[in-house]
Amino acid sequence: MASSSSSGLTFKLHPLVIVNISDHYTRVKSQLNPPPLTSTSATVNGVENQQQAPRVYGCVIGVQRGRTVEIFNSFELLYDPSTHSLDRPFLKKKQELYKKVFPHFYILGWYSTGSDAQESDMHIHRALMDINESPLYVLLNPAINPTQKDLPVTIYESELHVIDGIPQLIFVRSSYTIETVEAERISVDHVAHLKPSDGGSAATQLAAHLTGIHSAIKMLNSRIRVLHHYLVGMQKGDIPCENSLLRQVSSLLRRLPAIESEKFQDDFLMEYNDTLLITYLAMFTNCSSTMNELVDKFNTAYDRHSRRGGRTAFI
Amino acid sequence: MDIEQNQAELIDNFVKQASAQKGTALGSVILEATSHPSLFAFSEILALPTVAELEGTENSVYLKVLQLFAHGTWSDYKSNCSSLPQLVPDQVLKLKQLTVLTLAETNKVLPYDELMMELDVTNVRELEDFLINECMYAGIVRGKLDQLRRCFEIQFAAGRDLRPGQLGSMIQTLSNWLGTSDNLLVSIQEEIKWADTMSELDKKHRKEVEDRVEEVKKSVSVKLQTVSRLKLSSEGSRISTLNLVE
Repeated sequence: MASSSSSGLTFKLHPLVIVNISDHYTRVKSQLNPPPLTSTSATVNGVENQQQAPRVYGCVIGVQRGRTVEIFNSFELLYDPSTHSLDRPFLKKKQELYKKVFPHFYILGWYSTGSDAQESDMHIHRALMDINESPLYVLLNPAINPTQKDLPVTIYESELHVIDGIPQLIFVRSSYTIETVEAERISVDHVAHLKPSDGGSAATQLAAHLTGIHSAIKMLNSRIRVLHHYLVGMQKGDIPCENSLLRQVSSLLRRLPAIESEKFQDDFLMEYNDTLLITYLAMFTNCSSTMNELVDKFNTAYDRHSRRGGRTAFI
Repeated sequence: MDIEQNQAELIDNFVKQASAQKGTALGSVILEATSHPSLFAFSEILALPTVAELEGTENSVYLKVLQLFAHGTWSDYKSNCSSLPQLVPDQVLKLKQLTVLTLAETNKVLPYDELMMELDVTNVRELEDFLINECMYAGIVRGKLDQLRRCFEIQFAAGRDLRPGQLGSMIQTLSNWLGTSDNLLVSIQEEIKWADTMSELDKKHRKEVEDRVEEVKKSVSVKLQTVSRLKLSSEGSRISTLNLVE
């Protein structure tokens, strides 16, 4: 399997596909019954556990316009481990159903999970070649690697290379970009902002919010630093002056200071004062109700001596 | 910045034309460049050696016109009217557009009166038409017209050609911006730390209060058992004395 770039097609992947594949994998993995852990078979299970990670298979669909391939959606397929191939009648049925709802989408290829493309995948790839002459293979790596910055998704194409005199189909990796529709952007944004549901204390929410702002400002900071460095270089003469860039920078700087009018100060202070006032009022009410409870408890606990008669016996 | 992209081709064209010609022929190129409706950037043409040669010759007026369009405003033209050739209406329009851009450099909110004075426009309607049709639709400014307060709030204005001293002030502004954002980052981190410490203190306080409540509960339940016996006996003697009195 070579890892060179491909035939010049540009790939655009929608986040829906990635979410679908990961959802499929998670569902299958969690439905798999965990193996019984006994001390004697611990070592055996240790070896087996590594191979327990199930592989899921499915189909990706989308549109191909000229040199751009856009992958919109995906659906799951049944894999027959005995024949090492995908269930064809099921695939056909699903294809018809999806055709009715999305008449423009074609089957562009298939997906699977795992860490690297394997030789056995070539069989499935070849099998799909009768639906699409050059299918795509989308591979998701379910291993969570906290140091990794990129998405663990790779797209492979098949190319005919001559190795040892025999023309063979091998997988070559291609680059892709992520493309979002407005609805997808909203849901991805929603997922990214998930806060732990029991971290309801104000401090953790505040800290999370502030951390978000902090990282955003840090990114802005680093980009301005690059611009600054570039301009200083231009001034010293290391870099030839590029007028159109300078014009853009000057128009950008003209937008600063972004918020400084008097009206803004007035509105801002008014809203700030209102919020403080409301918090104060809430605090007040809280305190007075606690005080009330305390007085009631005090009365019940210490006032018994002054009551005439009618003291209930608590035998 | 789409304006820059639109202009890039035009600039290339004019640069090629200008470098191919000299003298009076350059004059016509400059005339064409300054009247073109989408071209607002002239420093590339100014930088050409063939154009710089015009200095001091009888065609230096064209050089002056180009410099006026690169850095000057409508009022500059009016005050130097004698030394500059008559401008074609297209050029007049362009100069007025560039004047608006220059005004946008200093203030973000431009009062109508100032605009009317700078652009030689007498009534508000004409000023607004000019701003809307010539400036906003051309894409060189984006902003809001506030008729009640009679001002024009500018959110975005395209850049004009740079004067040689402006680069230094731009670098200064950028470094100020960097300094402010660095300070902001530090203060946000302090706020996060503060929030965490306060929540820690709050939890500790809550725990302490609960511990004390537990302690008191235990001691009270012990006391109750002893107190109840005493109270019963004293109450019994009191009732018996009352009965005796009755």
